[in-house]
Amino acid sequence: MKIGKYLCYLVWVLLLGSCQIEAQKSKYLRSVGDIAYDSTSDKKDFYLCNERNVKQYHNNHKGLEYKGEKIALIELFDKQFVPVPNSKDSGLIRIRFIVNCKGETDRFRVTAMDENYKEKEFDTKITQQLLLICKGLTDWIPKQYEDKALDYYQYLIFKIQNGKIIEIMP
Amino acid sequence: MKYLFLLMIPFYAVGQPNCNVYLYDKDTAQYNACKSVEKVYYYQYTRQYQEQFDRALEICPYFSYAYRAKSTAYLKSGDFLTWKYLIDKAVEYDTLSNIGYRGWCKYQFFRDYKGTISDIEYVEKRYKTIDVGYSAGGEYHLLVAKAICYSALNNKQKAIEILENLLANKNYDPGLFDYYQLGVTYFQIKDYENAQKCFDKQSAKYELAENKYYKAKIAKLNGDTLLFQREKNEAIRLYQDKKNMVDPYTEHFNKVYLTTIINE
Repeated sequence: MKIGKYLCYLVWVLLLGSCQIEAQKSKYLRSVGDIAYDSTSDKKDFYLCNERNVKQYHNNHKGLEYKGEKIALIELFDKQFVPVPNSKDSGLIRIRFIVNCKGETDRFRVTAMDENYKEKEFDTKITQQLLLICKGLTDWIPKQYEDKALDYYQYLIFKIQNGKIIEIMP
Repeated sequence: MKYLFLLMIPFYAVGQPNCNVYLYDKDTAQYNACKSVEKVYYYQYTRQYQEQFDRALEICPYFSYAYRAKSTAYLKSGDFLTWKYLIDKAVEYDTLSNIGYRGWCKYQFFRDYKGTISDIEYVEKRYKTIDVGYSAGGEYHLLVAKAICYSALNNKQKAIEILENLLANKNYDPGLFDYYQLGVTYFQIKDYENAQKCFDKQSAKYELAENKYYKAKIAKLNGDTLLFQREKNEAIRLYQDKKNMVDPYTEHFNKVYLTTIINE
């Protein structure tokens, strides 16, 4: 009986080990755009229903789901974002994050490009404001599958022209 | 002749690759790479999917389809930097099969209006017909996408000219939202008579909450309170019945939100 138990344990360890070796060999994450927990920036108590199966916002074919639709987000950014005077910064800023099964958010990551799809660093007065407003968004709608709430990746892309938001995507 | 030419394009639309096209061209490297991904069952976001196409690129480094396939998950996750690198590779190795698609994606995901116009015009110059292709989901002809971009750049007359020419072409079957987009463009330049005509045509083709909303606005401008209220109520009902413009990834151009209709 005990030997059986040890054998099961050994198989489990070997399987886990081989999965990890496979993952280590690969230059890819489990899924494109996955965001791993980072103790320096992420909340320790951010709860995920299923860490290994975080969906994408478009998986249920409903796109972005926010209470009051996207116009509610647009109005919020219109009210809260203060354009940076005399800024020449233009391009796109993407903030990607997770909306968990309770509709809470965390693991925010920022990427930006100029108008020619080249990586760019924007004035932190712009990125920090956007990040702060994003973190304050509380009306994300948890996505569901067969009556079960899911965690999902969401992003917002801000089209910036001379320090002002001119469009928000998706 | 036109159809024979289309058969020669291996992956004009996204789907299972037709590897035999490469054999026809005696390109065994692309044929072998193509065969290696003929049956890919992984979701495009997964590591396995990306790796399978990497192996295809090891067989044939200029296999454009692999670059395009790899780019999709980056596009959908909003990773413009990686997407652009990959899709540019696809365009580099097979320009005509990919540039129209790249143009559409630039518009749909990143609202890069100038970039979209430039890509679509490249195809137009090469083909010299209206057969420049469709959006990834098939709901917009690429010339309609081009018109939308001109409209977004506030060149309304140019947008109208493109749409009117396309809709007047006897070989063109109007798309699901063409008359609506043209109607809104007329509305924006205050040509309400032509706008109304387009919205009526849209109603006949495929009724939308957004279309009814604009009809309500025209009725209001004409001082017809009864008609305004009727059209507005109908717009709300259609919206609640989910007969509005929905894109699972981003948003349609000239989309109208429910609160906007209610507050009209």
